[in-house]
Amino acid sequence: MTMNSTQASPPDIVVDFSASTQSLGALREAAYRVIGQAACHIDEADGRYVCRLSPSQPRLHGEELRSHFLNLVTDENLREKVSGETDRLRDVIVALAFGSLAQEQ
Amino acid sequence: MAGFASPDAFCPETSALQLLPIRFERLDADRFLVGNMVGDLAEMTAAELDRLCTLDIAPGDGLYERAFEKLFIGAVDERAQQQLLALRLRSRLSFLRAATPLHLFVVTLRCEHTCPYCQVSRQSKDRVRYDMDQATASKAIDIALCAPAPLIKIEFQGGEPLLNFDLIRWIVVTAKQRAVRRGKQLQFVIATNLALLTDEVLDFCAEHDVLFSTSLDGPRDLHNRNRPRRGQNSYELAVAGIARIKERLGADRVGALMTTTEASLGRVEEIVDEYLRQGLDGIFLRPLSPYGFAMTTKQFHKYCGQDWLRFWKQGLRYILDINKSGRRFPEFYSTLMLRRMLSDEPIGYVDLRSPAGIGLGALVYNYDGTVYASDEARMLAEMGDRSFALGNVDEHSYRDLVLSDTLVSAVADSLTQTAPQCSSCVFEPHCGADPVYHHATQNDVLGIKPLSEFCLRQKGVLTHLFELLEHSPEDAAILRSWAS
Repeated sequence: MTMNSTQASPPDIVVDFSASTQSLGALREAAYRVIGQAACHIDEADGRYVCRLSPSQPRLHGEELRSHFLNLVTDENLREKVSGETDRLRDVIVALAFGSLAQEQ
Repeated sequence: MAGFASPDAFCPETSALQLLPIRFERLDADRFLVGNMVGDLAEMTAAELDRLCTLDIAPGDGLYERAFEKLFIGAVDERAQQQLLALRLRSRLSFLRAATPLHLFVVTLRCEHTCPYCQVSRQSKDRVRYDMDQATASKAIDIALCAPAPLIKIEFQGGEPLLNFDLIRWIVVTAKQRAVRRGKQLQFVIATNLALLTDEVLDFCAEHDVLFSTSLDGPRDLHNRNRPRRGQNSYELAVAGIARIKERLGADRVGALMTTTEASLGRVEEIVDEYLRQGLDGIFLRPLSPYGFAMTTKQFHKYCGQDWLRFWKQGLRYILDINKSGRRFPEFYSTLMLRRMLSDEPIGYVDLRSPAGIGLGALVYNYDGTVYASDEARMLAEMGDRSFALGNVDEHSYRDLVLSDTLVSAVADSLTQTAPQCSSCVFEPHCGADPVYHHATQNDVLGIKPLSEFCLRQKGVLTHLFELLEHSPEDAAILRSWAS
């Protein structure tokens, strides 16, 4: 993942990612989770996803908000990986629970 | 020469492992809470979580054993872990097989109290307009007895239900007669402030095995401030009522609920002491709900979710210390969560389940015959919002009500299993959808969870309980005893 961070006109925070290595889905999930602290607008330009964070609470500012958002993106990337590897198994387990097991009762 | 094979011979191939569905939440920079599909939880560092997800683990390294025990990993060629997860998932959701065990009869909206936080918007007069009549009650009984659940609990709500005790008496006797024909078991509860408790009421309840649920907000001054009535004697009548019920019917025949107001926040120890003084068997540290006069008088907005969490944590600490001294006295919100965390019991607590408990867990028959999906739904209706009105006892059957478009849409649209953030939340197996709450606070039955105080409260409670279970052995022993 390639990331560059710059602070635009305060108090917005801009974090950008290489579109070739960062999935948009994970960014959207992270943007949703950060709603309580900031509004996140995602743009694509020159092969990069640009996330503009506008703080909605005085609690998190500057570096703290950037760091919080990067953690959220990191976590969402991992969730995306786990989901890709285990969704099929989750479907099997749910089918076992409410399909074949249900028929036996 | 014959002998034992080397220990290596018994080690499974790590290449034969597969990751099972897991969820996780970040606790801080280097700590994560990891869980499986049925809510078994483990704490891990970032490095451990990374090793788990890349299956960089081997027998004997500790993480491998923890991951196997928690059903985070399984062998590729074995289905045992998947079948176990399926069985446990099925058990946890089996409350769905006994639909609608709870039926609330709002026998009157009249009340002699004038509580500023009243969530049902009580009325003071007009007996004809605000009391349920016998014809309406009769139809409501028939609907309730059509529900699939073998044990039907009928709870009398108000206003103050004892203001219409004649109807309660008629409903109990009639429902018992009709239940025999349908092979149903019945349980009755009166939710009352006890101000109008009489020997006649006690005699009837003793004869028909009727339970009481009352309100006790804390010491005299706090209770009377929260719950004003003419004579300023709500507390005196409540504690006298509790004592009379315990003496006449038995100690386990009455329970009490407290509601947290702004005035309660700094006084949790005094509130707990009051419950101990009244010989009650535990306490439910309950936040205020966003309905009725609690909204119009702005009581609900006087403290936030974080304030309540601090109050609850302080109260739990105090309660745990009381338990350490030898007296069993659970905090019931914690107990509910702990049962979800430590067992696969099918706990269909109406406010904390997904699919949501509205309609499928409870139905509410209002005094005017309108049927609502939950107690909160009728509270909302008294504020002019009838979004969760399912029908009317005069026109609709049980089947009509639970299959109504209103209910099916609200349940389907609020599933946590597929909701943004919830679907990947480590706490989802222990949490629930609360479409009425989220509709009331966000005008969205699903709810925007990052902005939801319900979500904040649930995450705060579950994280704190997990930390105590993991890192405080003496507290953990008490918490485990509450869940058993």
